[in-house]
Formats: sequence, structure tokens, C-alpha cells
Amino acid sequence: MQSIRKIFTALASMSLAVSSIALFALMLLTFCDVLLRSIFNAPIEAATELTRLAMGVVVFSALPVLSARDGHIAVDLLDFVFNRYGIARIRTSLISISCGLVLWYPANRVMQLAERARSFGDRTEYLGISTFYITWFIAIMLFLTSIILVSRGVLMLFFSNARKETPDV
Amino acid sequence: MFESLVGFAAVLALVLVRIPIAFAMGLVGFVGFYLSSGWHAAISMVSRLLIDTAQDYGLSVVPLFILMGLFVNKGGISRELYQVSFAFLGHLRGGLSMATIVACGGFAAISGSSLATAATMAKVAMPEMRKFGYSDALSSASIAAGGTLGILIPPSVILVMYGLLTETSIGKLFIAGLVPGLLGILFYLFAVRWFVWRNPSAGPAGERTTYSGRLKAVKGVWAVLLLFFLVIGGLYGVLDVWPLHITFSPTEAAGMGAMGAFIIAALRRALSFKDIREVLVETSLTSAGLFFVLIGAWIFSNFVNVAGLPQALTAAVERFGLGPWTVIFAIVLIYVALGCVFESLSMMLLTVPVFFPLVISLGFDPIWFGIVVVIVTEISLITPPVGLNVFVLKGVVGDISTGTIFRGVTPFWVFDILRLVIILAIPGVVLFLPSQM
Repeated sequence: MQSIRKIFTALASMSLAVSSIALFALMLLTFCDVLLRSIFNAPIEAATELTRLAMGVVVFSALPVLSARDGHIAVDLLDFVFNRYGIARIRTSLISISCGLVLWYPANRVMQLAERARSFGDRTEYLGISTFYITWFIAIMLFLTSIILVSRGVLMLFFSNARKETPDV
Repeated sequence: MFESLVGFAAVLALVLVRIPIAFAMGLVGFVGFYLSSGWHAAISMVSRLLIDTAQDYGLSVVPLFILMGLFVNKGGISRELYQVSFAFLGHLRGGLSMATIVACGGFAAISGSSLATAATMAKVAMPEMRKFGYSDALSSASIAAGGTLGILIPPSVILVMYGLLTETSIGKLFIAGLVPGLLGILFYLFAVRWFVWRNPSAGPAGERTTYSGRLKAVKGVWAVLLLFFLVIGGLYGVLDVWPLHITFSPTEAAGMGAMGAFIIAALRRALSFKDIREVLVETSLTSAGLFFVLIGAWIFSNFVNVAGLPQALTAAVERFGLGPWTVIFAIVLIYVALGCVFESLSMMLLTVPVFFPLVISLGFDPIWFGIVVVIVTEISLITPPVGLNVFVLKGVVGDISTGTIFRGVTPFWVFDILRLVIILAIPGVVLFLPSQM
């Protein structure tokens, strides 16, 4: 359990580091683009497509960690009912498992679309970056999120103290 | 139409058992789309949305504005905003509450979230008001109500989402939120006066600040006020003069705002490396959550459109000969009711795809409708039994009952309704500024 915990924590900090760096880069990029355009009349031509790439990286790097932390926006209006009957844990774990399973299908399809983009040789307009890299990345992160959601649910269901055991990533 | 209604009921049921809103909307939308158009079309639609939404250029406004708010907040601005409002208003009866309202308005100008505004100001203003012997009802209510301004005064995350969903100009929406937001501050100030007029002991006057004290307080916030002016001014086009010629798209305004906030916080030596990391991580996680909800909403909205709900609604309105204002009134009521269950952003994302085509077909302005939706959402944030801001406040303050807060909030709520009526009756209040752009 300890080694799994370590691996998870390392993975989580790694993906958060990637998304933080992409976000900071996005901020710098926008700032420089505006300055260069308005003062030197020389905008960064590739700014739009770099922004789009950075956004994809920010959002999908953070997604697995968000899911591991149960950070998705949800309504806890009826929580008191579930708590009263002592079924809150079972409910949360079943929801986590089903969300994970449901996510597997689009992840698969995104992977197929990435492969198709690769076979067509799709590239971005200015920098000529192959678009399948980012689509691949999105697919991998979706698969990862799906696995995390399912294993989190299973852990919660079968180990009543799994909440404490799941790494605090 | 029947399928869509079943879909709505399904989303509501799933959300109530605490399935994340993004998954609830996405799943129901997917199943509905599958039943009408087949598996292949449905899964492709979902996958394309997953790929394209995260790479949407217009959406980069969201993380950048969140980043700006968090950086400024790290610089300790919430306390200074409160101090400067106190310096000018504190000596009046109810003055600390009025200072809280104005500081909330100021904080809303850098933050796009009502819950964040209420939570932040509660930490700063609540202890001060207690020190001066303010009643719990008045002090907590002024924070809960003042906090709602966060989603109307630009930048506003909700307005960005509305703009993206309905293809309405985000820049114009921001500018349109300005006057109703200021009107909100003014009306809340009246509400405080009304409260202390009825119950003078609830809000005794504080000490008067000297002129040099006021000047000192202003010095604490000038940089942030300048930043706000730069961001919103750039968006509105007031900076498009010799020799600068700067106009911003919303994304550029957000990027400049974030960078400016970063520089201000760094110059104040308020940012350690750990702080920067925390801010970046929090922004990434919040953005990912918002994007996922948006993707879910888009999937659901595609289903609703395929099922023909907007057209059916428009036809029904024509068949029953309902006037445009009856429709608007009904929509407002539906929002207040849904606000009892839904978190504000999800409520908007779920309903706007259905109501928007109807409202536009009746000849209303898309920008005006966006502002109306946001104001109704603000009202739902402080309406019993589930005013979210009230619960956020209770979470931060602790030793105060939600009943007390709701009782205190009543005059603010009444003035909110008055503001809504004004904006419904005189659309020019909203539309004048954006029409000059």
C-alpha cells in the first residue's frame, strides 16, 4: 500500500507541475503578445495556437488530480439523508466507479481520433505541430482519470478506511 | 419535447444523489443523443467536445482571470480594500457594514466568483464588525449580500460561460455588468441604512478617520485600482488613445490582468515560491473543474437541441399567445426555484441553452438577458432555504446560525428585487455602455 501511495503522490505532483508550468507560460505568452503588438506592432503570430495548446495541457493535466481529490462540482444538498442511513460511503464509491467506467468510452474514441489525425498528417497552421500529440495527451489523461476514479471507488468500497489510505494528493 | 423533459428530470435526480454535475449532464446528454442519432454520432460528438473545448481560444479567459484574482488576493488586498472603505465610511452609523459592501464590490472587480468574495471578506470584515458591537444579523448579511456582487461586476466567470454558450461578446457582457453592479452596491448601502434606521443599536458608528489616514489607506490600493482600470478600460477601448493605442480582447485583458497582479504581489514581497505554486495549482484545478462542467453542459445542450426543445417551447408560447413579459417572468421564477438546488454556474449552463433561443425569438437583447440571468442568480445565492453564500459564510464564521443570517439578509434581498425590476423595466441601464463600444 505504501509503495502505491508513493507512486500516486509522485504522479500527482508531476501532473500538477506540468499544468502549473503551462498556465504560467500561458500568462507570459499573452502578456508578451499584447506588449509586442501594441508597442512594436509585432504580434506573436503563433500566439493563438500556442494558447490553445497550453489550455489543453492545463485542463487535462489537472483532471486526474481533480478526480482523485473528489473535486468535481457537485450538489451535497441531500448528504444528510445518506449520512443518516450510513450509506454515504457506498454511494460515493459507486458513483466514482460508474463515472470512471463511463469515461472509458470517450477516452477510447479520442484515441481513435488521434490516430486518424496522425494518419492524415494534420498539423497546426503556423508552427506545423502535429495535432495528434495533444489529442493523444488528452486521451491518455482521460484513460488515467477513468482508472483513478474506478480504483478510488473500489478502494472505498472494500476498505472502509480507504479514505485515510488514499494518498492525499 | 417529452424526451427533453425526461432528460431534465434525469439530470436533476442524478445531481441530487451527488453525481458530479458535469457527469450528470454529460451522461444524460449522451444517452439522449444516442437514442435519437445512434451510438457512433453520440460518442463522436462527446469526443470532439472533449478535444475542442479544452483548446478553445476564447476559454483561456477563465484560467487567466482566476489567476489574476488569486494573485491579487495573495498580496493581501482584501484587508486593504476594507481599510480604505472604512476610512471613508466607518464614522457613519452602519458604516462598517457599508464599508464591507464597498470592499466586496472592490474585491468583485478582481474576482469572478461570489463564493470567493464572500469567503474572503468574511475573514477580514467579520472580526472588525464584531469588535465595534455590530449585530451578527447585520454584519453577516452585509457580507453574504455584498459577496453576490462577485459574479456581476467584471470580471465574472459566469458571464464568460454565458458568452461562450450563446456566442455573445464577452467584452460587451463585462461592460454591461458594470452599471448594474454599481447599482447593486448603491442599493445595498441603502439596505444597510434602512437596517440601522429600524434598529440603531445593530450598527453603531465607528471612529472618524483623519484626512492623512484616508490618504494612507488609498495608497494601499491604488495599484490594484489601476490594474482594474487597465483591464476594463482596455476592454472598453478607453486606452485606444495616442500614444498607446491599446485595446484588449477578453483573453488579452485577462492575461494582462494576471501578469499585472503577479507583478503587484511580487513587488509587495507577498509572494514566495510556494505561494506562486499554490496559486497556479489552485487555478489549474478550478479551471479543470469548470471546463468539465462546461463540456457536460454542451453535451446536454446538443441533446436538447436535437430533441427540439427550444423550438417546441417557442411554438408553445405562440400557441398559448403568451406575451414576452409573461415568459420573462416565468423564466425568472424558474431560476429562483432552481437556485434552491443548483450551484449557480451549473444552473445557468443547464438552462440557458433552452431559454436563450426562446428569449431571443421574442425580441429581447442577448446581453440584457445575460445580465438578468446573473442578477437572478445573485438573488438565489441569498434566498432561503439554500442560499449558497449564506452557507459559505456560516462555514467561515462558524458560531452563527443560518437563521440569523437569513433574517439579516431580508432588506438586502428586497433591494435586490427592486434592482431586478428596474433592470427588467429599463433595459437601457444595462445596454447603454455596451452600445457605445
